[in-house]
Amino acid sequence: MTATENPPTQQTAQTYRPSTLQRFLPFAIAAVVPFILGSTTGDVNFWWKALITVVVLAVVARLAWKWTPRGELTHREDMRLWRTPSDRSWAALTTFGLLVLPFILASDFTPPMGFPWATWFAVVNLVLIFAMGAAAFNLLVGYSGQISLAHVAFLALGSIVGGIVGVQWSGGNMWLALPAAAVAGAVVGAISGLPALRLKHLYLLLATFGFHFVMMLVWREYLQEYFGFVGIRFKGENSPRIASWLHWLPGIDPDQNGEFVITGQFRWYWVLMPITVLSILFMVNVVRTREGRAFAAVRDRDVSASLLGINVARSKLFAFALSSAIVSMSGVLASFYIGSRGEDSFNVQTVLNYAIIIVVGGFSSIQGAIFGSAFFWFLPEWFKWAREELWFVRDIDFLSDYPSEIDLAIKGFLVVIILMFKPDGLAGMWRDFKNWLGRTLARSNP
Amino acid sequence: MLLAFGNFTADPSVNLQLLIGGLALGAIYAVVALGFVLVYKSTDVLNLAHGEFLMLGAYFALTFLISENLNFFLGVFVLLLVMLVFGLLVHYGIMRRMVGQGFFAIVLITLGIATIIRALLLIFYGPTERGRLDLLPQGSFEIGGATVRHVDIIIFAVVAGCVLLFFLFFKYTRLGLHMRAVADDIEAAAAMGIDPDKVYAMTWAAAMVMAGIGGLLFGHVTGAIDRSIEAIGLRAFPAAVVGGLTSLGGSIVGGLVVGVIEQFANGHLGTKWREPVAFSVMFVVLLVRPTGLWGRKDLERV
Amino acid sequence: MNASGLDLTIEGLTVVYGGVTALDDVKINVPSGGFVTVLGANGAGKTTLVRSITGLLYLHKGRVRRGSIELGGESILGKKSPDIVSAGVAQVPEGRKLFPNLTVKENLLCGAASRSDISGIDDSLEQNLDLFPQLRPLLSQTAGLLSGGEQQMVAVGRALMSQPSLLICDELSLGLAPKIVHRLFELLTEINETRGTSILVIEQNASLALQHAADAYVLELGRVLMEGSAAELRGNPMVQELYLGGGGEAHTSYAAIERPSGGKRWGRKRTGGDS
Repeated sequence: MTATENPPTQQTAQTYRPSTLQRFLPFAIAAVVPFILGSTTGDVNFWWKALITVVVLAVVARLAWKWTPRGELTHREDMRLWRTPSDRSWAALTTFGLLVLPFILASDFTPPMGFPWATWFAVVNLVLIFAMGAAAFNLLVGYSGQISLAHVAFLALGSIVGGIVGVQWSGGNMWLALPAAAVAGAVVGAISGLPALRLKHLYLLLATFGFHFVMMLVWREYLQEYFGFVGIRFKGENSPRIASWLHWLPGIDPDQNGEFVITGQFRWYWVLMPITVLSILFMVNVVRTREGRAFAAVRDRDVSASLLGINVARSKLFAFALSSAIVSMSGVLASFYIGSRGEDSFNVQTVLNYAIIIVVGGFSSIQGAIFGSAFFWFLPEWFKWAREELWFVRDIDFLSDYPSEIDLAIKGFLVVIILMFKPDGLAGMWRDFKNWLGRTLARSNP
Repeated sequence: MLLAFGNFTADPSVNLQLLIGGLALGAIYAVVALGFVLVYKSTDVLNLAHGEFLMLGAYFALTFLISENLNFFLGVFVLLLVMLVFGLLVHYGIMRRMVGQGFFAIVLITLGIATIIRALLLIFYGPTERGRLDLLPQGSFEIGGATVRHVDIIIFAVVAGCVLLFFLFFKYTRLGLHMRAVADDIEAAAAMGIDPDKVYAMTWAAAMVMAGIGGLLFGHVTGAIDRSIEAIGLRAFPAAVVGGLTSLGGSIVGGLVVGVIEQFANGHLGTKWREPVAFSVMFVVLLVRPTGLWGRKDLERV
Repeated sequence: MNASGLDLTIEGLTVVYGGVTALDDVKINVPSGGFVTVLGANGAGKTTLVRSITGLLYLHKGRVRRGSIELGGESILGKKSPDIVSAGVAQVPEGRKLFPNLTVKENLLCGAASRSDISGIDDSLEQNLDLFPQLRPLLSQTAGLLSGGEQQMVAVGRALMSQPSLLICDELSLGLAPKIVHRLFELLTEINETRGTSILVIEQNASLALQHAADAYVLELGRVLMEGSAAELRGNPMVQELYLGGGGEAHTSYAAIERPSGGKRWGRKRTGGDS
C-alpha cells in the first residue's frame, strides 16, 4: 500500500490534539444550556427558546466535531466510546436533547394541529423503561446469540422483588428494590441460563419459554399469599421518594409535609432517563470489552470459541445474568412508574411486544432497542393523532373502528417487512443515514 | 409417570374421567403438534404462528360451514383449499426470502405473521364470539361411570389417520423423500436437482391444511369461536417437544402424554397448575433428552 | 441408455460475493467426453466455480457478474439448479454432503430427483450397485453412520443416478485414505471411458488428478493461472513446486510466478461464507 494509491484522508493528513478543556467543553455546554432554558419559564417566548436551542445544537455539534483528536491515535484514544468526529457530535447532540426534552414537554406550549404534546411525556417515559429492558434482551439474544423468551419472566421477577423489598419491607423504597432486583435477576438469570449449556436454538427457546410459565406460577402463588388477586400496588403511599438527607440537592423542592415524592412525568423523567442511559452505556461498554468479544465468539461458533480459550459456560451464564439483572431492574422501574402490576402485565403478548421492539430496532445492535421502543410507543400515538386530526385519515370509518387492531397489524407487517428487507432494523437505517451524512459533509467541507 | 402427582382421590371413576378428558385434550394437542412437526421436520423452522393458523382455520370453518351454510363435505373442501392457498401465500410471500437467515430471525418472522393474522382476524371478525361449530355428532356415552364424547373419538381417529397418511407419504412417495432430503441438507438437495422452493411451498401448504383440519376439530371442542383459540398454539408446545419435533408419531404420543398429565394436574392440583406442570415436563424432557421421546438425533457434523 | 457426454464451455466468468470477487474472468472448457481437472489451493475459487455451474450461488448470496456458461451449446447460466441437473450436470459436492438421516438407498434415489422415467431409476440403482458392490449390504443403513470412504461412494453413486452428461467432483480426495481415493479415481476414469460422460474434477490433490485427467487448469486467487494438457502441467516446474511438492531447484520460483494482481481482493470485510 503506497501513498499514491490512497488519497490522503483526514486521519493521515495531520495530527491534531484538542486540549482537555476543548474536549469536554461542547458536552458541558450541551449539559448546562438546557437547564438555563428550562429555568426561564414564562419569561421568554417558546419560539425564542426554540431558536436558541437550534443555534446551540449547531454550535455544540460543530465544536464536538472540530475538537476531536485526529492523526495517529494512541491506543487509549482509539478505545474511547466516542472516537470519531461524527460520534462525538451525535453524543453532544443526544446529551443536549435528553436534557432539554423534559422542559419542552413540560412547557405549556401547544403545537399546531392538535399534536398530543401532553400525552407524549408519558410515552417518553415508557420508551425509556422499555428501551432499558429491550436493550438488555438484545444483549442476550442479539449480541450473545442465546435465544431466550424468558425476559418477561424477569420483568415479573423485578415486580416481585419490588413488591417484597420495595413495598412490603420498606414501604416504597425503590432505591433499595433496584439493587435487590439486580442481584435477584443475576442469580435467577444465571440459573435460567443453565439449559443454555446443553441446549441451543429451538430447544433453548422452548426451555426459556417454559421458564416463563414457571415464573408466572411463582407470581400467582406469591400474589395470593401476600397481595391478593388484584396485583401489587406501587402507587400512593408506596410511591418512591427522595430521602430527606438528599433534599439539599438543586431542583428538589419538598412538599408541605417535608417529603419529595417522585410523581408526575417530569420528576419520573429525571429518575428514568439517567438510569436508562447509564445502563445502556454500561451494556455498550461491556460489549466492547474482552467479555463482550467472548459473547460474540460464543454466538458465532461456541466450539471454536472454547478452542480459543474462552470459557464458554461462564460466558453464556454471564450473558444471561447480566441481561436478566438489567431486565429485572427495568421491571422494578416499570412497576413503580405504572403503579400496579398484576398477572396480566406479563402475558404472552408482552413477550411478543419485546420481540417487536428489538426487531424493529434492529437486533444486531444494543442501541437499536431505543429506536424500537420509541417506535413501538409512538406509533399508536401518531396513529391516534392521524385518526383524530388528519383530514384525509379522519373520515375513514374503518380506521377509527379498529384502532388497536390496526396498530397490531401495522406492527406485525413491520416486523415481517423489516426482517425480510432490512434485518438491521431502524438502527441500521440510522447508521446508513449517519454514514450518508458524514460522506456528504466530508464532500462539501473537506 | 402419573404416580408422581400422587394425591389421587379414592373414587376411580374420577380418575377415569380425568384420563378420558386428558386423552381428548391430548388428541387436540396432537393435531396442533403435527402442524409444528410438519414444518419443523422439513424446513427447520419453528412456526410460532401455528396457533394463529389454527385460529384462521376455525374462523374460516365458521364462515364456510355455518354462515355460508355449505354442504359439509363441500364446505370442508373449500376450507382446506383456501387454507392451502394461504399456505402457499405464506411461503411465496414471506418465508421464501428468509431461507438461509438466522434461526432467531425466522422465529421472529413467524411471530410477525402470527401478529398479522391475529390483527386481521380481529378486524374482520370482531373481538366477540361469532358462532359455534356443531356439525360433528354431539352425543356421548358412558364407560365405567365416565363420559366419553363422540367428538373426541372422531378427533382422535382423524389425527391418527392424518399421521398415518403423512407417514406413508414421507416414507413411500418421491415428494416425501425429497422433503426429507431438503430437511437434511438443503444445499445437497438442491445440487441433486430437488427444488427446495417447491418442497418448502408444499410444506407450508400441508401445515396450513393441517391447521384447517385442526381448526375445524378444535372449534367443536371449544364451543365458541373467538380469539382465545390462538392460545392452543402455545399450549401444544410441550406436546410437540415431548413427542420430539421431528417425529410424526411422536406428536400423537406427546399430545396424549401431555394432555393426560395436564388433566391430572388440573383435577388434583388445581387449574393454575395446568400450564406450569406441562411446561415443567417439557423442561425436564428438554434437559434429559432434547430431541424428545421419539425425535431423531441430528447427526452433527463439525 | 447412457447419455453421452456434453461439452461445457465457460467464458469470462466473474463471480462476486457481496463486494468480494471470487472468480475473475475464468475461461474453462470441458470437451465432450473429456476428463478435465481444475487445481488450486484453498480460496482459489474452486468451490465457487462448482456453485456457478450448478446454480447454487444464490444459497451463498453470490452473483455472476459477467460471463457465460454453456452446456452442449446451451446456456445454463441463471437457470435454477433442478433445471441444470435435468440438463445433465451432476455433482459430488465438497465434503460429500450426504443426507445423514436418510438410508443409503434413499440417498441414491434422491440423486434421481430430476428424472421422470420412473422405471429407469431402478436400473440405474442396479448399475450403481454393480459399480460399488460394497454398498449392497448397506442399502438400509443410515448414511450418516457410514465410514468416509463408503460415504464418498454413496455420493458418487448418488450423482450418477441422474445419468449425467457432465459429472463434477468437488474435492473427492478430502479426508479419505489414499487407497480409497485411488480406487475412486479409477472408477471415474472407467465411467469416463465406458459411458463417455464428461468429467470435471476439482482437486487439491494435484498429482492424482493430473495422473487421470486429460486436460488441467490451475486456479489461483480466482483466475486461471495456467492451462494445458495434464502431461504438460505435470512437467511444468512451477506446478511441480507448488502443487506436486517436488523440485529442488525451483525453490525460489514461488515469488517469481506472475500472479494475478489481486489488488483489493483480500481486503475482505467479511468472508462470503466461502470455504
